[in-house]
Amino acid sequence: MDAQKVDMFIMSNGKYFESHQIAQIRERLMSMDENKWVMIQSVPLKDPQTALIISIFLGSYGIDRFYIGDTGLGVGKLLTCGGLGIWAIVDWFNIQSATRQKNFEKLQQFLY
Amino acid sequence: MSLTRNRFYSFLIMSCVAGYAWLWYASTTASSTTVCLSKKITRIPCPSCGTTRSVAALFHGQFTAALYWNPLGLVVFLILLISPCWLLWDTLKRRQSLWNSYLQAEKILRKKSVAIPLIILVLANWIWNICKHL
Repeated sequence: MDAQKVDMFIMSNGKYFESHQIAQIRERLMSMDENKWVMIQSVPLKDPQTALIISIFLGSYGIDRFYIGDTGLGVGKLLTCGGLGIWAIVDWFNIQSATRQKNFEKLQQFLY
Repeated sequence: MSLTRNRFYSFLIMSCVAGYAWLWYASTTASSTTVCLSKKITRIPCPSCGTTRSVAALFHGQFTAALYWNPLGLVVFLILLISPCWLLWDTLKRRQSLWNSYLQAEKILRKKSVAIPLIILVLANWIWNICKHL
């Protein structure tokens, strides 16, 4: 794929991924076919900061886990008052990297 | 951190142990200690407040009392009963049927036709919880 397009994608979507994943994503995008570009752009990526805000205010109801697409864990969190309050607090610190990881997994379906 | 099969199994073991430990702790102490962040901060009970009392009532065979405390207790009770047996079965047979069913259940829950009625049910239960002053 065109280097300019790939760099544009990395620039505008870099915050959705872990920094150590960026190089790998760039490499894969460069070697990819041009006609997948539209699909790559339409991958629904979740914002880690939004996830953090949701986690702080609605974390004990599991809404943050539902938001990033971890439906099963969300149900678990909802049923246990946010894991007896402990899991809710752990997730305040954990949710951003979990969101980035989830984004990477979503993108990976198209990369390989 | 992404959820892989082994992480899921260890997480489930941990939460089952924590669940039974919490039940044991709650049954030995007479005063009702709350760990619910929502209730502590805002004094409004969360949708699953009363689940401990509900599960404890179910273990004593008081079905109607359990339903009164919180119908979600029934779901938690079933998970607490079934998942350790299923885990043991999977370990002995060296299969991953529980993990596969978990993924399947997640897929079903994401469907709008299933999710929206469930959300409405949970919200209704929440309103009932607030009315009951749990």
